[in-house]
Amino acid sequence: MSNIFTHKTLQNGIDLYICPTNKFKTISIYFFLHQNLKSETATKTALLPYVLKRGTEKFTTSRSISLFLDDLYGSGMGGDILKRGETQIVSFFMDMVHPKYVEDQDIFDKAMLVFADMILHPVKEDGGFKKDYVNQEKDVLKRNIESLYNDKFNYAIERCFQEMCKDEAYSIYKYGNIEDLDGINNKNLYEYYTDCLKSCPIDIFVMGDVNEQEITDKIEKQFYFERGKVIEVGTGFSKKEVKQERFVEERQNLNQGKLSMGFRTKTRYGDDDYYALMVYNGILGGGTHSKLFSNVREKASLAYYAFSRIEKAKGLMVVSCGIEFDDMQKTIDIIKKQLDDIRQGEITDYEYESTIKSLTNSLKEVQDSPSSIISMYLDGIINGIHEPVEDMIYKLKKVTKRDVVEVAHKIDLDTIFFLNKK
Amino acid sequence: MDRFLGESLYHRSFDNGLKVYVLPKKDFNKVFSMYSTHYGSIDSEFIVPDTKEHLKVPEGIAHFLEHKMFEMEYGNVFEKFAELGTSVNAFTSYNNTTYLFSTTSHFEESLKLLMEFVETPYFTEESVEKEKGIITQELRMYEDEPDWQILINLLRCLYHNHPIRIDIGGTVESIAKIDVDTLYKCYNTFYHPSNMILFVAGCIDPEQVFNLVKQQQDKKGLSSQPTINRIYPEEPDTINEQLCKISLDVSQPQLLIGFKDIDVGYDGRPLFKKELTVAILLDILFGKSSELYESLYEEGLIDERFSFSYEGQKDYGFCAIGGETKDPEKLYNKVLKCIAENKQKGISQEELERVKKKFIGGFIQGFNSLEFIASSFVSYYHKNINLFDYVRVIDEITINDLNERLKLLFNTSRHARSIVLPKT
Repeated sequence: MSNIFTHKTLQNGIDLYICPTNKFKTISIYFFLHQNLKSETATKTALLPYVLKRGTEKFTTSRSISLFLDDLYGSGMGGDILKRGETQIVSFFMDMVHPKYVEDQDIFDKAMLVFADMILHPVKEDGGFKKDYVNQEKDVLKRNIESLYNDKFNYAIERCFQEMCKDEAYSIYKYGNIEDLDGINNKNLYEYYTDCLKSCPIDIFVMGDVNEQEITDKIEKQFYFERGKVIEVGTGFSKKEVKQERFVEERQNLNQGKLSMGFRTKTRYGDDDYYALMVYNGILGGGTHSKLFSNVREKASLAYYAFSRIEKAKGLMVVSCGIEFDDMQKTIDIIKKQLDDIRQGEITDYEYESTIKSLTNSLKEVQDSPSSIISMYLDGIINGIHEPVEDMIYKLKKVTKRDVVEVAHKIDLDTIFFLNKK
Repeated sequence: MDRFLGESLYHRSFDNGLKVYVLPKKDFNKVFSMYSTHYGSIDSEFIVPDTKEHLKVPEGIAHFLEHKMFEMEYGNVFEKFAELGTSVNAFTSYNNTTYLFSTTSHFEESLKLLMEFVETPYFTEESVEKEKGIITQELRMYEDEPDWQILINLLRCLYHNHPIRIDIGGTVESIAKIDVDTLYKCYNTFYHPSNMILFVAGCIDPEQVFNLVKQQQDKKGLSSQPTINRIYPEEPDTINEQLCKISLDVSQPQLLIGFKDIDVGYDGRPLFKKELTVAILLDILFGKSSELYESLYEEGLIDERFSFSYEGQKDYGFCAIGGETKDPEKLYNKVLKCIAENKQKGISQEELERVKKKFIGGFIQGFNSLEFIASSFVSYYHKNINLFDYVRVIDEITINDLNERLKLLFNTSRHARSIVLPKT
């Protein structure tokens, strides 16, 4: 069942993970550059994938890259920013049809060349990135940061975490801050990028029906460049004690209220009780078998959606739902009651067993998509864990109700955020 | 067996009219199944087959029915799936209602359960009332989503009478009128096996699926039902309104331009060819490889979320182009100018060949995903289209098809604009 990656560290310290498999129709290449999430660098880091996508020395415009990719049977290339705990990750991907399905045996070489060029040989001007591109992307990033406001569902969750982690790096949005954009230009951004390439941890993944040695040689050749000492990147996991529960309200012109409750779990991926936390989260709000679904939605008809989700690198959890404005207190009371019930050990066999089965099912399903497999493996790397899915399932199945109650006692409500009407 | 894709599709028809399709993927961990009826939000007026009663039902009832199907006499069917560790869900579109599950174990029990609950209507007054609270919150959620509001407003501009102009979920007022009796009438009309398809993809043996379905269907002993008489109001070729502007609490304006397709009234392969022709056309005109996209992006009028789509059904069709923009007026003018210029000069053979290649590659990539295979197959099936004709239909499309379609669809007398502005 497991898709095994073989790991090799290249001469310059880049970590290469290859998984030869003929399960999929594609060959995927992923590139991740890990940076600490810090206010000084977050906005610069966020600009990088967007500026890099704009052009290479050979293909100097996005359009020329896009035309080239169309011709490679619509190979998809892109980049974005991920945030895992207090790390910010510049990510790039390339998905191409495996050459065996089409009449173009050179797809892989051509695709990999433009992929590597995007990352290592961007179009330049006066010793920096191209000025116009940086300016345009600053404008796009500004609008992108602002547009979180349009997505009330995610806005309410993000704002809850921001309030809760006010004094911690985790409060920084994955795309950084609008205020920082003014100080960024084509030169200082390029210098910053050069430093990142030298000093940030880098992982490359390749998945598909490929020959391992051949791919290793090709990557080694394409991605060879001098690097320096590699920095440590940490997730900022914290066991911060909550002194007092906070309530924060914001008002907008809305039709539905959005309630988010932020918790500190003090448990992270890699801890002995991490799988107990997963089961806890499943019982509380991880699906139709959960306490939140059954009590907030089915029994009280207060919401269409009500769920909980854990942030496994920083040690957080959020509960979220969309409700009538006047139902806020009633909903909070019901949610708190569910948490209390779990602490008291009021967990039915149905809730407990369904959770374990549903989580097992999800873990197995991950193995059916290249991007999910890679993303799961990446989570392991970020948290310093290497365990195959079989081990995860084994540990999950060993969790008892008592373990769940124990982990429940570690969880503290930190901040309630309510998006109210004006 | 499709040699090109290296995939095989197995098929069985049952006496009561049910069609079952299986696409095995032995090396996958999961099985993904969809059980779908050709019944959506637009089917709000019809003749009840056995009584010949002419019925006009409250808007949003197909979606309401979907929610209520999960209720059984013994309680909630979610619980039964959860006990199997199977994730189950459903969705309602303008045209179809689809129930789905995915599992990595307990396939047999899950499939039996899926068929059993979709084939067992059980509604009580109390549970119908309770659902109104939940669905009201679902509707409220969409009221705050600009992407959805802008589309609904566009459809209200393009259509005078067709029910496509009404929200899939209906309104808080219309769902208040839904009762047990009407739910049963809708159910009995549209959930007959002859109006349904079951699609299963994943690590499964086709014979096993066919045998399970046979046992289940034999128990019911239903015979085939004649075609359902669906009634749609007369829809003129003209558009209803040119412009709709609303204000929402958003950070920047949004624009959506729509063209009403009046070359309608047919499904099957001709519809497939039209859809793919329009999709290629839209990609050439507005895709990331187009001159227009490049200039709009560089001017800061669009970002990567700029999008375009065509929705083609037997009785209606429209395309929608747009996204967030700082200047809806300027973006609108540029898009229309681009369309006019291309109508003048025409599309080139080279552009067509490039996008064909891209589409074929994209189609093959789609076969990585059981969800893609199942949902595409099912929604095409309801339009009498065979997904596996994709590559052949793409091959068939000529430059003439493209240029003719360009003139026919992008008729400026049949376009409208929907705009969302930030509240000040």
